[in-house]
Amino acid sequence: MIRSRVAKRYAKALLSLGQEDGQFQAYGKNLVDFSGFFDANKELREVLTSPAFVVSDRRRILNDILAKSEYSETVKNFLNLLLDKNRIDAIREVSSYYENLMDEVSHIARVDVITPKPLREDAARSLEKVLEEMTSKKIRMEMKEDKSLIGGLVVKIGDLVFDGSIKAQIEGLKESLGRGE
Amino acid sequence: MSGRNDNRGKFSLWVLLGLLFSGSIAFAAGGGEGADRSADLLDLLYRVMNFAVLVIVLVWVFKKARIGDLFKSRSAEIQKKLEELRNGKGEAERKFREIERKFVEFEKDRQTLIDQFRADGLAEKEAIIAEAKERANQIIEQAELAIQQELKSVKERLQREVVALAAERAEEIIAREITDKDQDRLVDEFIESVRKSH
Repeated sequence: MIRSRVAKRYAKALLSLGQEDGQFQAYGKNLVDFSGFFDANKELREVLTSPAFVVSDRRRILNDILAKSEYSETVKNFLNLLLDKNRIDAIREVSSYYENLMDEVSHIARVDVITPKPLREDAARSLEKVLEEMTSKKIRMEMKEDKSLIGGLVVKIGDLVFDGSIKAQIEGLKESLGRGE
Repeated sequence: MSGRNDNRGKFSLWVLLGLLFSGSIAFAAGGGEGADRSADLLDLLYRVMNFAVLVIVLVWVFKKARIGDLFKSRSAEIQKKLEELRNGKGEAERKFREIERKFVEFEKDRQTLIDQFRADGLAEKEAIIAEAKERANQIIEQAELAIQQELKSVKERLQREVVALAAERAEEIIAREITDKDQDRLVDEFIESVRKSH
């Protein structure tokens, strides 16, 4: 919980800088990229987060890596700040929350579409259009497959869930019959 | 009191004179003996005098000791005692009658109490029987209720199991039978319902 609050604070600070210089989307890409790299390298994670190494050594290692990247200077400084404040292990949360903030600023809604079979192209476009009309935001859909749905689809927009699957209909029918209706 | 003493004195005098007179008669009856009998007369005189002195002494003693009063007092005391005894007897008889009456009353009370206890016992018996019947009815009602609830519970559990099996079977059939066309139709219907809902 505390970690989540800290991540939000740092993400908001970076977004504020990005909005000032108009580079917030580039910062977002840099953060996502570094977060993926950080998650994928266990040794790097251990070195950067372990108090067994002095901060100066850890900073040198981080800067050696960042020097080989094309990240903006702001993002590099931001990552150094996280290291100095011993918050580098929260980079995944910071990145995730930054994306959410970026979506809000860009009026983008991320939507999870779950189907038992891949969705037709025209159906996906129709769905995107309908959801754009409904949210008044640009829709960024992420397709997922789940065979247990049997048929139909499930759409998740944040906390809002539209369940049009066969599985949900059978569950509803089962509950109704169980109540003797 | 002095009158009574006078009467006593008179009575004593009359007794003395009577004795003297009877002695003279005895002396006169023996007069034919002559001078030879003078010693006897003298002896008689002495005897009479002796007797008179004795009588006087006795009268004096009786007078002094107030024997009459004593006898009267004793008599009055005995009378009083008799009266008291008569009263005591009456009191004892009264108490006896009182005890007899109480005994009769006690008998009545005893019978009343026995009757009362018997009546209370019968009433208590009736109450216990009624309570036992009521309790038995309650137990029967509770048992019936428990049976009904258990039946309902079993019925519901069975219904849930049947529904679960039916749902599972339905899922299997639909999963086997559903086609791409069905999926497309479901997606289109979903998109249409979302469009209509906002």
